Amino acid sequence: MKTWLKHDSWRHIIAIFVCLFALFPLYLVVISSFASSGSLQLTSFIPREISFKNYQLLFNDPTIPYLSWVQNSLIIAGSVAVLSVIIGSASAFAFSRLKFKGRKQGIQLLLLVQMFPAILAISAVYVIMERVYSFAPSIGLGTRAGLLLVYLGGAMGVNIWLLKGFVDSIPSELDEAAKIDGASEVQTFWLIFVPLAAPVLAVVSLLSFIGTFNEFILARLFLVDMESRTVAVGLQQFIGGQYSQNWGPFAAGSILASIPIVIIFLSLQKYIVSGLTAGSVKG
Amino acid sequence: MTYLIRGKVALLLKIIIVGLASAILLMLAQSAFAQREYVISAFLALTILALALTYLTKISIPLKFFIPGILLLIAFVIGPILYTVAMSGFNYKTGNIISKEEAIVQVKIRGIEADPAGTSFDIKLGTYDGKEAILISDIANLKYFISTADSRISVAANDVTLNEYGVAITAPNFTTLTDAQMASADKSYTKIKFQYEGEYFIALEGFDAGIVTRQVLEYLPATDEFRNLVNGSIYRDNGRGNYALVDDKTAILEPGWRAPIWFENYSKIITDPRVREPLVRVFIWTVAFALLTVLTTFALGLLLALALNRPIFGRRIYRSILVLPYAMPSVMSILIWGGMFNTEFGAINTLFGSDIAWFSDPNFARVAVILVNLWLGFPYFYLISSGSLQAIPSELLEAAAIDGANPRQIFRKVTLPLLLQILSPLLIASFAFNFNNFNLIYLLTGGGPRNELDGEIAGATDILISYTYKIAFGTGTQDLGLASAISLIIFVLVASISLYSLKKSKVLETFG
Repeated sequence: MKTWLKHDSWRHIIAIFVCLFALFPLYLVVISSFASSGSLQLTSFIPREISFKNYQLLFNDPTIPYLSWVQNSLIIAGSVAVLSVIIGSASAFAFSRLKFKGRKQGIQLLLLVQMFPAILAISAVYVIMERVYSFAPSIGLGTRAGLLLVYLGGAMGVNIWLLKGFVDSIPSELDEAAKIDGASEVQTFWLIFVPLAAPVLAVVSLLSFIGTFNEFILARLFLVDMESRTVAVGLQQFIGGQYSQNWGPFAAGSILASIPIVIIFLSLQKYIVSGLTAGSVKG
Repeated sequence: MTYLIRGKVALLLKIIIVGLASAILLMLAQSAFAQREYVISAFLALTILALALTYLTKISIPLKFFIPGILLLIAFVIGPILYTVAMSGFNYKTGNIISKEEAIVQVKIRGIEADPAGTSFDIKLGTYDGKEAILISDIANLKYFISTADSRISVAANDVTLNEYGVAITAPNFTTLTDAQMASADKSYTKIKFQYEGEYFIALEGFDAGIVTRQVLEYLPATDEFRNLVNGSIYRDNGRGNYALVDDKTAILEPGWRAPIWFENYSKIITDPRVREPLVRVFIWTVAFALLTVLTTFALGLLLALALNRPIFGRRIYRSILVLPYAMPSVMSILIWGGMFNTEFGAINTLFGSDIAWFSDPNFARVAVILVNLWLGFPYFYLISSGSLQAIPSELLEAAAIDGANPRQIFRKVTLPLLLQILSPLLIASFAFNFNNFNLIYLLTGGGPRNELDGEIAGATDILISYTYKIAFGTGTQDLGLASAISLIIFVLVASISLYSLKKSKVLETFG
C-alpha cells in the first residue's frame, strides 16, 4: 500500500486533475440543460432543481424544429459518410493497385488538392452554387442536396488520400491470386478488396460522418431556411445573438445531439486512433 | 452476389444506371444552357460523355474506378480552386461585382438629375392607344397631360374626372391599370422615360408620383465613353473596372464592374500599408497560435500518456473521461466555452472569483483561445503518445537503466527524442490544421476584440483564414479579389508545410 502511494500517487494526481479539466464544461452543460434559468451560470456545483423544460421546448415548440435539424444532420452526414467512402475507395483502389499512364502525376495532384483548405474556396463554391440554383433550384444554393454535393466533393480529396494509404498496407498477394484465378479488376474490388478492407472503410466513413456533423460555416451559408438547417447551425442561433443568449435549450440540444457521436467514438476508439495516426487530424 | 458484377443482369443494371444518370445530367445541362451558364452546361455535357464512354465501352479499366470521384473533385474542389485563382486577378469587390454590360446599364439608369425646381406631379398609371402611359395632373396650374414614351398629349380640364385631392383619375382614351395589373407593372413602367418637355422626361417615383428629370450621362458605344450632357466632360474606362473622369482619375462613376487587374491584389499585399500591416500582425499571431497550440496540447497529452503508461488502478476510467473532449462534436464544445468565458455570467469568472472581460482584452482573448484549444486537442496527443510510448522497444530503456541512467535522464535522452521522431509528422500536421482552425476562432471570439474606431477589420485573435473570411464576407467592403489572393498564399504556405512533413514521414517509413 505504501509503495503504491509512493510510486503511483503522482500519476493519479495528474490524471484526476486533467479529468476535472475535461469534465468541467461537460458538467456545466448537463446542469444547465436541467436548469430553468436559461443561462450557462455556475450558481452552485450541485444543481438545486431538475427541470425538463428545455428538453420539452426542443420537442414541443413549433418554432424550434429540432427534430428536423437532427434529421438533416443525420441524413447529410450519413450520406456523405457512405457515398464518399464508396466512391473514394474505388478511386483509392485504382491508385494503389492498377497500373496506368499518369498514375504518379495523378497521385501528386491529389496530394496537392487535398491540402487546399476547403474554407478558402468558399466564395467560389458559393458563386457556383448560386448559378446552379438559377437553373436547377432543387440542387443549388440553399438546398440540402446542394450542400451534400459540396460536402461530397470536398471529402473526396482527403478520403481518397487516406484510403489509398490503407489500401497500400493491405498485402497484394490476395488480389494477385484472384487475378490469376481469372477475376476481373471489378470483381477483385468488390469480392476481395471490399470485404478485406471493411473495418478500415467503416472507420474512414465514421471520421467523415463526424467531420460533416461538425461542419458549420458552409452549412450556415447554404441553409437559410429554418427547417432545412443542420443541428450545429440550428443550435448556434440560440446563443448567436449578443443580447438574447438562451443557453437552456442549447445545452439540452447539444447533449442529445452529442450522445450518439460520443458513444460511437468511445466504442470504436481503438480503430479511430489507428486511423488518426495514419495521417488524419479531426476537423 | 457475383451475378451482380458479371453477366447479363449486370450489363442490364449498368445500362439502366448509366442511362438514368445521363438523362438527369442531360436535363440539367439543357436548363443550364438555357440560363446561359455555358461553362456549367459544357461540364455537364462532358460528364455525360465521360460516363457513357467509361462504363459502356472498354476504353479504360482504371477510369471505371476513377470517374465518379474525379468528377466530384473537379466540380467542387478543382473548379472552385481555379475560380479562386481567376478571382484573385480581378478587381472584384463591393462596387465592382457585376459585369461591364450590366454596369453600363446601371450607370445610365443612375445618370439622371431632377430639373432645378424639383418639379413633381401626381400621376396615374394606365394605357393609351395600347401603350404604357401615365396621366399627369399639374394640380397647381390645373393642367393635365397623358404622356407615353414618345409623345405628350394635353387633355382639357373638363375632360378629366378628379378625385378628392384634385388628381385626374380618368381621361378620354386612357385606361387606368387595375390593381392586379399594378402589381406586375413595376418592371415595365419604371424603365420608361415618359415625355415631358425637350430633354426633360418624367421618371416614376413610386406609382403615384413622377419627377421631372433629364438624362445627364450619355453612353457613346463607338468610343466606349460616358459623356456628361450638361458640361461635356468625358468619362473613360480606367482599366480597373470603372469609368473615370479624363481630367480627374479619382472621380469615378458608380457602379463599376469586375475587371482584370492581374497581380495587383498580390502586389497590394506588399506595397499597400493598409493591407500589409494588419496582415503581418494576423500572420504573426497565426503562427504563434498554431505553435502554442501544438506545444500545449502535445505537452499535456504526453504528460498524461506518461502518467498512465503503467496499469494503475482506474486507468480505463481515466482514459474514457480523458477522450471525452475529443469525442464531443467540437462546434458545440467551442460554443459552450464561449459561454463559460462570459464576463458577467461565465463559469470561469465565477469559479475563480475574478472579473475579467475575457473577450474584450486582446491578451485575455488570446489566452482563452489557447486554453479552449488545449481542451479540444490534448486528448488527441494523449491517444497517439500513449500508442507511441508502447512502440518504443523496452530493451532500449532497460539498457539505459543498466548503464546507470536515472528515470529523468532516460526520458530526456531516450524516450523523448524517439517519440519526437515518431510523432513529428503528426505534430506538423497538427500545426497545419490549427493554422487554418477557422471554426475555433469564428465561433469563440469571432476574431475579436478589434479596434472598431479606426475601421480595422482584423481582430486580436483573427488568424489568416478568419481574416480572409472577413475580407470576403464581412460587413463593410467585401473584397473577393483580395481575399482570393490571400487564400492562395495561405494554400502555398500550408501545402509547403504539409509536403515537408510528408517527406519526413516517408523517411520514417523506411526507418521503421
